[in-house]
Amino acid sequence: MDSGFYAACTGLLAQTDALDLTANNLANLSTAGYKGQLEFYRSLDASMANHHISPLNQAVNNFGVLGGTAVDLKTGEFQKTGNDLDLAIEGQGFFVVKSPAGIRYSRNGSFHTDAAGNLLTATGDTVMGEQGPVQLPSGAITISSDGTISQEGSVVATMKLVTFAPGTSLTAGGNSYYQAPAGSEQPADDPRLSQGTLESSNMNPVAGTISLMTLQRHAQLLQQALSIFHSVFDAAPAQDLSRVS
Amino acid sequence: MFRALYTAASGMLAQQLNLDNIANNLANASTTGFRGTRLQFQDLIYQEMVVPGSAATQQTTVSTGLQIGLGTRASASEVLQTQGDFENTGNSLDLAIQGNGFFQVKQVNGETAYTRAGTFHLDQQGNIVTADGDPLQPSVAIPNGATSISVGADGTVTVTMPGQTNAQQVGTIQLATFPNSGGLLANGNTLFTPTTASGDVIVGTPGGSEGLGTLQQGMLEQSNINVVDQFIQMIVTQRAYESNSKVVSAADQMLQDVNQMAH
Repeated sequence: MDSGFYAACTGLLAQTDALDLTANNLANLSTAGYKGQLEFYRSLDASMANHHISPLNQAVNNFGVLGGTAVDLKTGEFQKTGNDLDLAIEGQGFFVVKSPAGIRYSRNGSFHTDAAGNLLTATGDTVMGEQGPVQLPSGAITISSDGTISQEGSVVATMKLVTFAPGTSLTAGGNSYYQAPAGSEQPADDPRLSQGTLESSNMNPVAGTISLMTLQRHAQLLQQALSIFHSVFDAAPAQDLSRVS
Repeated sequence: MFRALYTAASGMLAQQLNLDNIANNLANASTTGFRGTRLQFQDLIYQEMVVPGSAATQQTTVSTGLQIGLGTRASASEVLQTQGDFENTGNSLDLAIQGNGFFQVKQVNGETAYTRAGTFHLDQQGNIVTADGDPLQPSVAIPNGATSISVGADGTVTVTMPGQTNAQQVGTIQLATFPNSGGLLANGNTLFTPTTASGDVIVGTPGGSEGLGTLQQGMLEQSNINVVDQFIQMIVTQRAYESNSKVVSAADQMLQDVNQMAH
């Protein structure tokens, strides 16, 4: 009986954490290159590892906890901006950025140059090309879909685009940056860049609102369960049994 | 759950800013030479609850971590550099730039500012000035009594004097551009000034190799705001704001339910 009480309580905590995740996904609806965070749950077996686990034992002792978050890699919508240094990647792939904290990966292609012509991200970090940091000459620039940067027909540099094997765990670092385990990047095969376009957040208000409703109902259900444990199972014996005379 | 409240608040603030920006873009849908701006947002830091790769047991590690983000912030406003529509006015001092260049004008404080608005006039001395009276740089003076003024695609200004058949050249209009025009600072009156983000100014004659574009006499460039596009942005902004407000009420409701559990 008490075990169920704690199971409902753990579930409720997991739902409140999941609400925080959804809140962040919805707060970043206008963040270019933002990738949603998906939550997943896992069960925590409270029984001792060596004991025999019966189905009943499992039902009573498996607590649902928020297991972790994964980055939702689906592509966001493309928005035309007309700025030559706004780039969007169609399909899989990431830009490589050299931040003070090390190499980061991003899908936010809102770039600009400094006075020396270095290509920088919105936060001012260097964007990497195939041959080190990208430096652009002044004047109009053309970036073709395979990442070749050219000016009046002569090639200036090539954008570095990388991809990751399925299942590689990416961690979000803010500023639309992601971090990957060392050595996991692979050159993107068939990268397709679109100049003058930005990728918007891949979250949408409809899906977000639905997940909010689901969360809220789950939480309510667990609260009901907690109340029942509290009022019926616990309170009833304590109050009523004593009246038997 | 309190995280959700603050996160949603950051989202609502961001969408409010977004709407302010759209309102300004729409208000300037008829401003000659206006360049619209677009706000950029970025996600804030993440709270690491489980670090990926930390030990799950003595032999195994967790493959994915548990990270909860803490909202969004507006990071930059970018000047959109798409070309506006051209309107034929027939006025000889209305100039439009077909390309990426900017006219250079001298502000009252002596500093050079850059504009796409080509509604020029003459002052008492015959100098070409903007609608606000700021002289074009390098200055071009039209002699008193000139019967016609013509501006070539390459910026050459020629005038015809009464009783003369040959046109005489009185000056050349030069244009300017920047390595990153999106990083210019908007100063109002459709004037822009350079910043470290925009890079140093590149000056040249129209039609040159700098990609400045050519001049069109008798035309004006309209605002580069696309009203339909801004309306769509407004709908998206409104829905995003609504979603974030739903998070606030969901978090509030859940907290309320928790409070009632103790009864």
